[in-house]
Amino acid sequence: MSLYDLKREETVNLAMMLGKVLLKSGAETSRVEDTITRFCHANGCNDINVFVTPTIIIMGDEKPSGIYAICRIRYRSTNLSAISEINDLSYNVRTWPLNYVETMHYLENKLTEKPPYEKWLVCLAAGIGSVCFSFLLGGNSHDFIAAFITGLLSMAVLKILGEFHSSAFWENVLAGAAIGGIAIICCTVSSECAMEKVIVGGLMPFLPGLYFTNSLRDYMAGDLISGNSRMAEAMLFALSIAVGLAFSLHAWYRWGMSL
Amino acid sequence: MTLDLWQAFIFSFAATEAFAVLFQAPKKTMVVSGVIGAMGWLVFVLLHQHLGSSSFYAKFVATVTLSLVSELSARLFKQPVTTFVVPGITPLVPGLGMYHGMTQIIYKSYNTGIDTLLTAGMDASAIALGIMLITSVFRVVKIGTKPLLMPGNGK
Repeated sequence: MSLYDLKREETVNLAMMLGKVLLKSGAETSRVEDTITRFCHANGCNDINVFVTPTIIIMGDEKPSGIYAICRIRYRSTNLSAISEINDLSYNVRTWPLNYVETMHYLENKLTEKPPYEKWLVCLAAGIGSVCFSFLLGGNSHDFIAAFITGLLSMAVLKILGEFHSSAFWENVLAGAAIGGIAIICCTVSSECAMEKVIVGGLMPFLPGLYFTNSLRDYMAGDLISGNSRMAEAMLFALSIAVGLAFSLHAWYRWGMSL
Repeated sequence: MTLDLWQAFIFSFAATEAFAVLFQAPKKTMVVSGVIGAMGWLVFVLLHQHLGSSSFYAKFVATVTLSLVSELSARLFKQPVTTFVVPGITPLVPGLGMYHGMTQIIYKSYNTGIDTLLTAGMDASAIALGIMLITSVFRVVKIGTKPLLMPGNGK
C-alpha cells in the first residue's frame, strides 16, 4: 500500500488535489509546483507540466492529445498545519500508508475540515499577541488590559465578518475601524492608557506577514506573477487596515479630541 | 527604552507563539518557532539599543539570523520553512512607525508623516532583504533535500 505506481490519470488527480489543499492553505507557489512535480515524477510521469498562480492551478501534458487538468482557487485561508502535513506526504510517497482512494478521501477531508485551532482560541491568541507587543513597546498594566480587549474584539469582528465571504478588503477595513474605536473607548475610560501602545499592539495581529513572506519567496524562486500578486495582496490588506484605523482616528480628531 | 533582555525574550517568545496560533501552525513546532522569533527580536534589541546601530541594519541582521535558523530547523524537523519564518518575523514588523506616520498625516503634517512612513518602509525592506538573501542562498546550497528526479518506470 503506497502511492507509488499509480496510473497516469490517478497521478494527475491526486497531484491536483495536493496542490489544491496546499494553495488553499496559503503555501508559496514554488512549493505547490514543486510538490506536484515531485509527486508526478515519483509515479513515473516525468513529462507533466504545471503552472500555478495564487488563483489557478493548470497542469497537463506537453502533447496536445494528452491529459489535462485545471483548477480555479477562489478562497484562500492560512493553515500552516495543513501545509506541513502535505509536505510530509510529498516527501514520503514510498512509505505512505494509505492507497489511492483513501488518500483522496484524506485530502477531501483536509479541504473541508476545520483548522486545528478554534476561532475563540485564535481571538484569544490575538489578544495575547497584542499584550506582548504593547509590552515590547514599553506599556504599563493599563495598556496591557486595553490592548488585550482591542486585539481580542477586533479579531472577533474579523472572524464574524469572515463567515459571510464578502470581500476581504472591507472585512479588514471594518476590523481596522474596530481597532481604532475600541482603543479610543479604552483610552477614554482609563487616562493612563497610551493610545499608540494600545493601537500598535492591537494592530499587529492583522499585518499580512504571510503574504509578504510568500511574495518574497516567490520572487526568489522566479515566479514573478505570483510574487507580484501576493505583494499586491499584502499591500491591499495593510492598506485596508490603515483605512479603517484612519477612519476611526480621523472621526475622533474631527470631534476635537486629541489622539 | 532599554528593556531587560530576559523580559524581552519572554515577551517576544509569547508574541511569536500567539502568532503561530493565528497562522494555524502545527503544534509540534510551536516551541521552536517561538524561540526563533525571540532570537530575532533579541538580536534586534542588542544591535539597536545596546550597540547603537541603525534600525535598518539591526532589522536586516536580525532577519538574516532568524531566517538562517528557520531554514536549518526546517531541514532538521522536516517541516516547511514558512512554519518558522512567518511567526518569527512578526515582532520585527515596523507597526509603530506606520501608526505614527498615519496619525501625522491625519493631523495634516504631511512632510513628517511621509518621512516616518518612508522610514517604516525602509525597515520593512530590510526584513525583505534579509529573507530574500537567505532564501536564495538556500536555493543554491541544498542541505538535506532529496533529489527531485526519482526512478520512474516511464508510463
